[in-house]
This record gives sequence, structure tokens and C-alpha cells, in this order.
Amino acid sequence: MMQLWDVEVKSRKIEIVLILAVLLASLPLILNYGLLILSSFSTEMVTNLDPTSFRPTIDNWILLFEGRLSVTGGVREDVVRYTINTAIVALGVAGVVVLVSVMAGYAMSRMNFKGRSLIMQLILLLHAFPGVALIIAVYLIFRATLPSDIELARIYSFAYVIVARAALEIPMSIWLIKGFFDRVPWEVEWAAIIDGASRLRVWREVMLPMVKPGIAAIAIFAFLAGWEDLIYVRTFLFDRTLATYIESNINVEFAYMPLLAAAGTLYLLPTILFFILTQRLLLETSTGGIKG
Amino acid sequence: MVSVRLEKVTKKFGKVVAVNNVDLEIEEGEFMALLGPSGSGKSTLLYLIAGIYKPTSGKIFFDDHDVTNLPPRERNVGLVFQNYALYPHMKVYDNIAFPLKIKKVPKEEIRRKVFEVAKLLRIEHLLDRYPGQLSGGQQQRVAIARALVKEPQVLLLDEPLSNLDALLRVSVRSELKRLQKNLGITAIYVTHDQAEAMALADRIAIINEGVIQQVDLPEVVYNRPKNMFVGGFIGNPPMNFVEAGVEYNETVKLIVGEDSVWLPQEYIEILRKLKLQKVVLGFRPEDVLVLKDESQVEPGSSVIRGEIFTVEPMGREVLLTIMIGETMVKVYAPPTQYYSMGDKVFLQINPAKLRLFDPDTTIALEYLVKT
Ligand SMILES: Nc1ncnc2c1ncn2[C@@H]1O[C@H](COP(=O)(O)OP(=O)(O)OP(=O)(O)O)[C@@H](O)[C@H]1O
Ligand SMILES: [Mg+2]
Repeated sequence: MMQLWDVEVKSRKIEIVLILAVLLASLPLILNYGLLILSSFSTEMVTNLDPTSFRPTIDNWILLFEGRLSVTGGVREDVVRYTINTAIVALGVAGVVVLVSVMAGYAMSRMNFKGRSLIMQLILLLHAFPGVALIIAVYLIFRATLPSDIELARIYSFAYVIVARAALEIPMSIWLIKGFFDRVPWEVEWAAIIDGASRLRVWREVMLPMVKPGIAAIAIFAFLAGWEDLIYVRTFLFDRTLATYIESNINVEFAYMPLLAAAGTLYLLPTILFFILTQRLLLETSTGGIKG
Repeated sequence: MVSVRLEKVTKKFGKVVAVNNVDLEIEEGEFMALLGPSGSGKSTLLYLIAGIYKPTSGKIFFDDHDVTNLPPRERNVGLVFQNYALYPHMKVYDNIAFPLKIKKVPKEEIRRKVFEVAKLLRIEHLLDRYPGQLSGGQQQRVAIARALVKEPQVLLLDEPLSNLDALLRVSVRSELKRLQKNLGITAIYVTHDQAEAMALADRIAIINEGVIQQVDLPEVVYNRPKNMFVGGFIGNPPMNFVEAGVEYNETVKLIVGEDSVWLPQEYIEILRKLKLQKVVLGFRPEDVLVLKDESQVEPGSSVIRGEIFTVEPMGREVLLTIMIGETMVKVYAPPTQYYSMGDKVFLQINPAKLRLFDPDTTIALEYLVKT
């Protein structure tokens, strides 16, 4: 009994030490984001770790959604519109990535065809290319295919940026989701086939639910990639997103920093939210029923 | 209900020949046990019948229909997988209901059938759980329920009871047999456990390295194994084998070391025909009388001398390991005698029960003359 207690105390100590270490390591990050969020609710930036500079207000947020860049007036900006644009791009990227990766990943995992491993290696190679390196070629295709009608071109630019940005995410996502499919035992799929399900139905009703954590993971990564993207959005999208909006204002002389802090917080929000909300799903390993 | 017939079925995986030129017929409503060591091709054979694998060559028939190229869903077979293969994201109820849902059976009927089969397998109280929340034995019963609920023409079971405790196993297996007979389903039952095969099956098929060794009634497989593999695989402990020379005089007898063994008339005739100089003598552990004293040997009977190597009391009897020359054999003896290591003993083999095998082909002699 004593010994057990002893062991428990020991492990708790270790746990506390570990938590402290993790906290210490992430302190600069937490501080950074903390100050940013704090500043967005203050009339002055809270940057020098000086609590007296914090004067609470929600004006920044009101101004932000009124679309103004300074307290005194400034250029009107449609921040709500930008937020919606950002969401369109992010959701679009997530949608395309999930659709393509889930199908390709299943094929890579389950179907036996010539050149499969070659394709897998090429995909990995593709992933190694940074998006910036490809952007000139991608831009040339964009110029060549852009419709002349301006309204159409605007819509086209959305579609184009979504597909182009998704293309950067897809290689890694295919690898990731293939790993999830690989872990589903063949027997489960066979069981469904013997039960009379068609290949498509097996895929939809048996395979997909079993790789749900994987789908969630690639969806989140793709969503965030789309939400945060700056280079592709700035190059191709006619409209603005939160990223390009903030970027274009950082160096502007009349920029009112606490207001930008509010914009930055808004920009960060999905990242934080997603990780908090989906942490469990991401960590969840597919439940039992598969013993070998 | 249908009969299942395999004609010269071979399945290769690259260089591995998992199933080799198998001819096998399972009659309508028959309960066939498929016995064999690990890796002998049992699961592969079931998957071939279910249609998951296509044979590399050969044909499979259900009655007179050639189903070789029919996809699984058109074969109406139920398969209980070795590793259960339940759908982990569905509750037990939905697992069992799945095949019916695919068939678009009305909801009410699905409900009725699921409850019926769940009751049969004593898993009604588990219907609301996920497979991950069940024990291995419970998962196995869910898998059996899922295979049964669609009332298949052919039921294939891949070691379905391996995870049940001894008590439950005996009750579920007799339940299973009763069910199979009532529904008249043709069933193939893979098992490692030869006692289970003996208890359940109408006939037993023994497979080794992809080749069917013998297909016969349980008592025939046990008493007249076709070759040394079958004799050495069935029985616990299995059949003993001792090499012996043959002496042809006015009569024919075996020579084991310095001892002679008289043979029954049947074998004398067979040996005269085959004229073998050497044979392998096979006998089961329970077909031997262990005598401690030469004076106990009845006149006219033959004995083989040996020395006790180990003694294992088993309660009802004692299992003795005895060295005959360099060969180790296991025999059962009544616990009324006291045995100890190093004792010299005399083994009197029941002549009606001894078997002889050809050392070259390992085939039992009586099967050699038949063909
Ligand atoms: N998909 C496959 N690819 C390659 N080889 C395979 C495959 N499936 C089975 N084999 C091989 O075929 C042989 C028979 O395998 P099988 O699973 O049928 O054996 P088994 O009798 O069911 O064994 P166990 O009792 O261990 O389940 C083995 O040598 C195995 O390695
Ligand atoms: Mg097997």
C-alpha cells in the first residue's frame, strides 16, 4: 500500500515537472497571443508587459466591424465581407482536399494497379515543392484561363485560388488518409461485401466512418491552410481576405494598432477554435471490434 | 439449401500455393469441419467459397450452378471471420441488421429478426453497445449473429468459438449445430480443435499445406487415418509412430528392436502383396496395455520393450512418455499402478487398433492397396 502511494506521488511529481516544462516552452507563444488578444480590447497596445497600458474598451471590435481603420475615420473597409471571403476560400480548400484525398487515398490503399508505388512516391515529391516555387507556372495558367467578363473573372478567381491552394495540400493529405485506410482490416471490408453491399456502399458506409478521425484531420489542416494563406490569395484572388487585409495595413502609417490587433485576433480565432473543438476527435483512435 | 462442390481448385499468392488442387464436396445441409494446422489454407478455402478470392484455377459449384465467377453478394453465404470483422462504428444492433438493411428488408422485420437471432446467441443485452465495448467472446457471438441473420444458403465459420470460455463454448456449439440442422444450412466450420470437430461435424476434412489429406466420418478419420499426417494431427496426444522391419516367414511379423509384433490377418495379406521391408507402426495412446513385469504378458501376445521417460498424472489416467530405442511414444495407463522414471515396461498394443504406414509415401497400407 505504502509503495503504491509512493509510486503515485513520484509519477505525479514527474507529471507536474512535465507540465511546467511544457508551459515554459510555450510561454513565448502564449504571451504573444495573450498580449495580442489583450491589446484588441485596449486603447493602447499592451506590448511592453506593462499592465498600466491596458485600458479596457471594445471600441476596436466595433470599429473593426464598421470597417474603419482608425478612430478618427479613415478608409471604410468591409471586414465582414473579408471574413466571408476568407471562409469561402478556407471551406472551399477543405472541401476539395477532402473530396480528392479520400478517394485517392482509398484507391492507393485498397486497389492494386500498375505504378501505384511510383505514384505514391511522386506524390511525396510533389509535397516537397513549396507553393511559392510553383506560383509562376500557376499564374501563367491563371492568366491563360481567366474569363474576360469581370464578374465571371471574380468568381473564377475564387474557384482558381481554392483549387490551386488545395492542390498544395492534397499530396500530404492523400498520404495521411491512406495511412488511416491501411489500418482498416480487409476483413471488415470483405464482411460488408459478403453482406451484399456494393463497392461504393462499402466505401461510404463502412470505410468512411472508420477513417473519420483522418478525414477530420485533413479537413482541419486544409481549412486552416486556406484560411491563413497569403501568397496564393494575394496573387489570384480579386477580393480581399482577412490575411491580405491585415497584411496591407501593417505598414500603413495611419494604421491604428489596437484595431489591427482585433483584426489579428479575428484571424486567429478559427485556428484556436478548431484545435480546441476537435482535439478529442483528432486523438480518438478508431474504436475496437478489430482484433486479429 | 445447396451443396457445395470444389473441382481442382488452386489458389496461389505469388509463389505461395495456399490451396492446392482441392476436390471437395459438401452435401446439402451437411456440417463439415475443416481441420488443419496454422497456415494450411483453411481461411483461404473459405474465402474462395465466399467469393472474396477467385481461384487461380478450378471451379466452384453451388448445386449445379458454376459460381466461380459470381461476386460474393450473389452467393448468399454467411461468413464468420476469424477476427470477427465487426463494424466498429456501428452498434451491435446495426452490425447484425446491416445485411438486412442492404437487402432492403422492412424495418419491422429487421427488428424482429435481429432480436430473434440475438436471443438465440444470448446477446440481447448487448445490442446497444459498440463492438469495442464487448469481450472477445461477445464479439464472436455478434459475428455469428450477423452471419446467421440473413439466412444464408451456406454458412462459413472461421474458428468462431476460439475465444469463448470452455463452458460457453460447449453450449454455443451445440446450439450452433442444432440451429444449423433446423435451418438446414450447409456449413463449413474451420477449427484447430479436433475435439470440437469430432463433436460437431458430420464429416471432417483435414488439410495440410493446401492439400486435402482426408475427408471422412469423424470415427473413420480417427480410427483409420489415411496417412501419417492425419494420424499425427488428430488425437490428444496424437498417434505414436515407431519404425519397424518386416519379417516374411510362414507368417508375417514386425520387428521393433529385439521384439516381434504379431499382425492381424488383414495386414498380413496386405504386406504379402506389397512386400515392404520397412513400415511405420502407428498406435494411439489409449490402445496400449502397459505391463511392468514380463510375467504379466499373456502367452501368444507380443510386446515391445521400453523405458519410462516421464510420468504425468492426469486424474482419470496417467500419461506416460516411453522410450522405445530412440523413439518417444506417449501412452495412457490406469492410475492404479505406480510408475516412475527409468522403469522398464512392456507395451502390448491392441492388434485390432494398430495401423501400418508406408515410410516413403506416409500413406496407410490399407489405402495403398485400395488404389
Ligand atoms: N493475401 C495473401 N497474400 C499472400 N499470402 C497469403 C495471403 N493469404 C494467405 N496467404 C498464405 O497462404 C497460406 C494459407 O493461409 P491461410 O490464412 O488460409 O491459413 P489458415 O489455415 O487459415 O491458418 P490459421 O489457422 O493460422 O488461420 C499461408 O502460407 C499464408 O501465408
Ligand atoms: Mg485462418
